Amino acid sequence: MKFISWRIAAAAALMTAATIGRHAPALAGEPLGAKLLKETCARCHTASPSGGFERISEQRKTPEGWELTISRMERFEQVKLSAAQEASLVKWLADRQGLAPEEAAPFRYALERRAVVEAPDDADLAGMCASCHTYARIGLERRDKGEWLKLANMHLGQWPNIEYVATSRDREWWKLASTEIPAKLGAKWPLVTKVWTDWQTHQHVNLAGSWRVAGHRPGKGDYAGDLVVRSKGDDHYSIAYRITYADGTKLAGQGSAVVYTGFEWRGTVRLGREEMHEVYALSTDGNRLSGRWFLDGQDGIGGDMVAVRGANAIAGVEPPFIRLGKPSRITVIGSGLNGTVNLGSGIAVEKVLSATPGAVTVLAAAAKDAPLGARMVAVGKAESANALVVYDKVSAVKVEPEIAVARMGGNGGPIAPALSQFEAIAYTKAADGAPLRIGPMPAKWLVANFDETAARDGDAKFGGHIAPSGLFTPGPAGPNPKRNGYDNAANLSVKATVADAGTMVEGAAHVYVAPQRWVDAPIR
Amino acid sequence: MKHLKPINKKAEHIERSAEEGKVEEAQVMQVVAGCTSVFDPGWEVDPFGGVAALCQPVEADLYGCADTCWWPAQVPDTINSYPDWNTAAPSAERDWRKLQTVFPKK
Repeated sequence: MKFISWRIAAAAALMTAATIGRHAPALAGEPLGAKLLKETCARCHTASPSGGFERISEQRKTPEGWELTISRMERFEQVKLSAAQEASLVKWLADRQGLAPEEAAPFRYALERRAVVEAPDDADLAGMCASCHTYARIGLERRDKGEWLKLANMHLGQWPNIEYVATSRDREWWKLASTEIPAKLGAKWPLVTKVWTDWQTHQHVNLAGSWRVAGHRPGKGDYAGDLVVRSKGDDHYSIAYRITYADGTKLAGQGSAVVYTGFEWRGTVRLGREEMHEVYALSTDGNRLSGRWFLDGQDGIGGDMVAVRGANAIAGVEPPFIRLGKPSRITVIGSGLNGTVNLGSGIAVEKVLSATPGAVTVLAAAAKDAPLGARMVAVGKAESANALVVYDKVSAVKVEPEIAVARMGGNGGPIAPALSQFEAIAYTKAADGAPLRIGPMPAKWLVANFDETAARDGDAKFGGHIAPSGLFTPGPAGPNPKRNGYDNAANLSVKATVADAGTMVEGAAHVYVAPQRWVDAPIR
Repeated sequence: MKHLKPINKKAEHIERSAEEGKVEEAQVMQVVAGCTSVFDPGWEVDPFGGVAALCQPVEADLYGCADTCWWPAQVPDTINSYPDWNTAAPSAERDWRKLQTVFPKK
């Protein structure tokens, strides 16, 4: 079975040969998505007089969620799909049965493929639904109680051992799965919500035009540049970037993007030698995109990005911190910037080094008594809250992600190792003594055994290595003859040392080297 | 907890949390997004927070995971969803390089 991602603009037709011909012909000029629903999905899903389809119309989800549904129809029902059809169907469904921005917001980390430790807000739902996949995967769907129950039915039928694994066999699993849990899910994440009803009246915004972008790639640094968006109709765009990193690296490239549900930007672009996928959310006013991009096939490597357009808009401040008493270059990246740079009390703008509507660079100095902490940055009427942190010294270093899972791969197999990019984040103490995040700083890196058991098993020797950029590469997949036939699973510490005015400050993270994923769905 | 004695770190954590009135926090799972919390014995992490108690090598019992759909979000289940996944690889330890992802890039 093939899987066709939104990243390559694919599509699906839901049909079985046995049911061909039992449907009404599509209307001439009808959108392809509507046509597919009527001509193919309706062969199994009964059409209702109101224009809906049994089960399909009783769910809402993200573009990735609809991809998963369609891929399941391919897998379970032997549906044959073409790329263009699947793309049209996902677009049609996500536009009409998607999530409102507020609904998707708490779980964007799963769409953006961020390395985070989930913090479910409901132990019962987490124990039932997030033992295998993310909590976000259910948090990004909306159904009523009866439809959530059908999802439980599907799980038990498809994966019958679900009742017997740890955390299931020690309780009345099916009783819970078929009663309390669907009721709870239906109350927590119902089909009809006010935010979705309101969002459906939102007019899709044309994103064509020139944007300014700013962002940060862990392991590489800050970047800024331009994004030119050209409309191809129906929320499809061609895009072109010109980016410059703080270290002087210049990159240019082109790609394409689709906006689903009026705000879910999904792009694919090639910059230099790298192909990357973009998962951004569009602001309600249509003038700001923000989210994360990640490398094709290596979502542990990526970066944050903000794009803005129009007048008086700030995309980013680079670097986003300044040390007391040390004159520093500070650049404000934005769109339609015009006016005086104001970095707040205690920070003097000693000289404007360059100023264009897209970026203003100044030489700034923070007085020794400048208030510590995050503050607003302004250029004329453009303002950005908490955009610049004032600090006196680095008092602690934390490594992000704090816990990561890298996966063995390669070694002649078809699945590449899944790398993890680490970054040293400096902290200082705020006036009240609380830890205050400064930002990413260069560090020296090393990998060590996490504990005595890891040392006994030689985990650091076999588990992988870390580059000067903080990029961790796990060991190769497969039984390792040099490890008595064991694989290279490992329990490791990743340690960073940051030099701050002659003082060395250390921090550490935890990385597990785990087996491959042979199943890697659009939402894990 | 008078009559129960913790015998591993997880149990100690639960007991300590209970004493501190944080039982709920100890029970809600904290898992790296995309990893399983089915720790018998676990796919990425074992019940003790390490990797030493995982199957070693993973290929030794890989098909014992696949044909029982033990970790269906990581390992293709060969009961229903992907019955042909390992047809070309009769021995996982010998043939693991022939095992493809079930979500291949087009």
